[in-house]
Amino acid sequence: MSHLALNLRVIRALGLRSIRQTFRRPQLMAPIVVFPTILLAIQTGGAGGAVELPGFPPVQSFLQFMLAGAMMQSLMLAGNSGGIALAVDIEMGFTDRLFAAPISRYAIVLGRLAGTAALGLFASLWFFAIGLAFGAEIAGGVPGALLAIALVTVTAAAVGGIGAAIALRTGSASVVQGLFPLVLVVLFLSSAFFPVGLMIEPAKTIAEYNPFSFIVEGVREPIVSGVDATDTAEALLAIAGIVVLGLALSARALRHRLRVG
Amino acid sequence: MEAAALPAWRTNLATIGALMSRAKNELLRVPGAAIPGVLAPTIFFLGLNGVFGALTQLKGFETGAYESFIVPVSMLQGAGFTGAAAGVNMARDIEQGWLDRLLVSPAPRWVLLAGTVLAASARALIPATFVLAIALLLGAGWPGVDGLLVTFFMVAAMAAVAACWGSMLALRFKSQSAAPLMQAGMMALILSTTAYAPLALLQGWLETVARVNPVTQVIEAARQGFVGGVTWGGTWPGIAALLGLLLVFGALALREMRRTGA
Amino acid sequence: MTATTAITVEGLERAFDEVLAVRGVDIAVGEGEIYGFLGPNGAGKTTTVRMLTTLLLPTGGRATVAGHDVVAEARQVRASIGVALQEAALDPLMTGRELIRLQATLQGLPGAEGRRRADDLLERVDLADAADRRVGTYSGGMQRRLDLAAALVHEPRVLFLDEPTTGLDPVSRKTIWEEVRALNDDGTTVFLTTQYLEEADQLADNVGIIDSGRIVAEGTPAALKAELGSPHIRLQLEQGSIAEAEEICRRIGPLLPPVDAKTVLVEVEHGAADIPRVVRALDEASIAVGSLELVHPSLDDVFVAKTGHHLEHDEDGSDEEAVPA
Repeated sequence: MSHLALNLRVIRALGLRSIRQTFRRPQLMAPIVVFPTILLAIQTGGAGGAVELPGFPPVQSFLQFMLAGAMMQSLMLAGNSGGIALAVDIEMGFTDRLFAAPISRYAIVLGRLAGTAALGLFASLWFFAIGLAFGAEIAGGVPGALLAIALVTVTAAAVGGIGAAIALRTGSASVVQGLFPLVLVVLFLSSAFFPVGLMIEPAKTIAEYNPFSFIVEGVREPIVSGVDATDTAEALLAIAGIVVLGLALSARALRHRLRVG
Repeated sequence: MEAAALPAWRTNLATIGALMSRAKNELLRVPGAAIPGVLAPTIFFLGLNGVFGALTQLKGFETGAYESFIVPVSMLQGAGFTGAAAGVNMARDIEQGWLDRLLVSPAPRWVLLAGTVLAASARALIPATFVLAIALLLGAGWPGVDGLLVTFFMVAAMAAVAACWGSMLALRFKSQSAAPLMQAGMMALILSTTAYAPLALLQGWLETVARVNPVTQVIEAARQGFVGGVTWGGTWPGIAALLGLLLVFGALALREMRRTGA
Repeated sequence: MTATTAITVEGLERAFDEVLAVRGVDIAVGEGEIYGFLGPNGAGKTTTVRMLTTLLLPTGGRATVAGHDVVAEARQVRASIGVALQEAALDPLMTGRELIRLQATLQGLPGAEGRRRADDLLERVDLADAADRRVGTYSGGMQRRLDLAAALVHEPRVLFLDEPTTGLDPVSRKTIWEEVRALNDDGTTVFLTTQYLEEADQLADNVGIIDSGRIVAEGTPAALKAELGSPHIRLQLEQGSIAEAEEICRRIGPLLPPVDAKTVLVEVEHGAADIPRVVRALDEASIAVGSLELVHPSLDDVFVAKTGHHLEHDEDGSDEEAVPA
């Protein structure tokens, strides 16, 4: 069979494996969804009064505003966890088996990302369910929801690419795990939890330029007001940037790993 | 051949001291072990401050400085994190068989628990001090010596509560995979309070929960020096809440410890 | 009975959910005895030991150790026993000295006394030089010796050793054996679980064999082996007729089923004393003997007879039949 066909089959097989792994171990999956849910509940209740602040964008409720941030948090954790899973594969020697096979190196990484994307998809569906259950409206309707879900899923894969790159470079699950605080930092320094205009310096300026802020806005707009071409385009651009970064880092890390063995 | 010529209370004290001494090894002998415990609450402090700082503009906020408002929360979060981490360590000790050594000795079960819990209390003072220093640098108000004492007391006691919670889960599940539950439980407990905003500004379910959550009293007591002045009236509810939590979680943890092997 | 019995076990049972891991075990270990507890993995050895050391509650039956009931008087039991478990319960971040001192504190020894005993014990197990190094840097043998020393710090009446030499090299194993004998000479009762027949044979005054949760045999090693019958001579012929050799040997003792066409197995009542008879008789018939071996029944033979399978696989306990996937 052709090279491409073989690689696609491999990606599918590895992808299915990675999805199965993810959903078969609820105790690993739970933190990815449960932590952000707890935080969502608390922040909605605790900071919900913020909608009264002058300058707060027009929203139906603080919950409606926060959904995007919660999804963002989940997908970042999913990316981190995908990196950990790959690092465990490396530590166990499973990747050696793959590297020795006549398949593209990238197929290996792409297969892993399928699992991360699936988690992102699950997270977005989960938070939509929670939002609807607690009275949040999706201003963009079904098309808006689908757009948001698609953006979250793709971003999860993109972030997963960075997680995978780190896993390939370090080969250590505990190092990848130790990067979890970084996830929090990136989220805090974005528009995930609050409108950028109302944040305090220097977080405000950083959030203005943080590519994740663009992605958050891309996911948020369909929920709070409706699909907007500019926001969507900016989000896609930011995602593309992260994808490119992830690919570049992965490529370097792969070369390093194959040299070092 | 019977061993001790010492009275029981002296033996127990010596045992608690020895267990606390062992607990400090992780900090002193493993490079970087203290970092996660300090990093997490610090990131939360800086993050919350940068993100939600504008909330002080809302009517009903006692202070204009959000740092002052949330620094006690971050210090208590550090206590929760440290206590939960003590639970994770106990789970690891169980997995590696170390706890068997303690369980086979004639030391009473409460003594073994006390060693873990008191070590966590002491250790929680480290992230608390660090977060406080950062907050003061960022302009948080100096709480006064009385405010400081009250806050640090609350931190130490909260860490003990968290350590009891973590130990209970460790003994119940005998596995480090219970770690997220240990951490999430404490996070939920500490944040479902007046952590982010005063009671009057809390919305919906959180307002209800914060009213009944004993940790709200703890946060309010710890917050006194930072937003106003310390009074006995503002302090004793926090002490009472902590005593109650300690009794409940301590009893649960002790029960689990006595039941290992059942 | 309790005055001279260090350990009494009556109908001890332990169930895990639906599974009975220990199904009614009866044991009596006298003061000053070394009791060898033998059985394959999964037989219930460790479960039994954990019940006797108060780490696990029995779900049936009773047991007393050093005169105290393991359930009702658990604390007194713990004060009287020393325990070195299969997974040496050590902390890699502590030094050897710190560990023994901690154990002394746990046992309630006053500070100065505990420190003195720690130093003595470290000398005794030859760890004095490594005493202030972290346990994480110790070899397997050193860790076992440290574990043993810690178990002795309060001079217990009864010592429980759970597979003390598993995974150790022969030299370290001999060292532990010498230490166990020395302890026993001082009057300590030793309850020793092991997978190694040689260990039980060498050390134990009495042996109990457990399989699938039940005691299937008990007695001194010699008595158990004697139960199986006399030793036999294993002859391999170089020249001459097998049939004739068998005929000659049959006059001396009953034959055992042959293992191949060139070997004769004959039971001999008097052991080595019968060898000259056999050799002379065969020599008179001009039958040349290639090799001759006197085979005593081993504890493994006892084990096979009682349980239907062998106790030992490889030295390292791995299954010889395992094939790489």
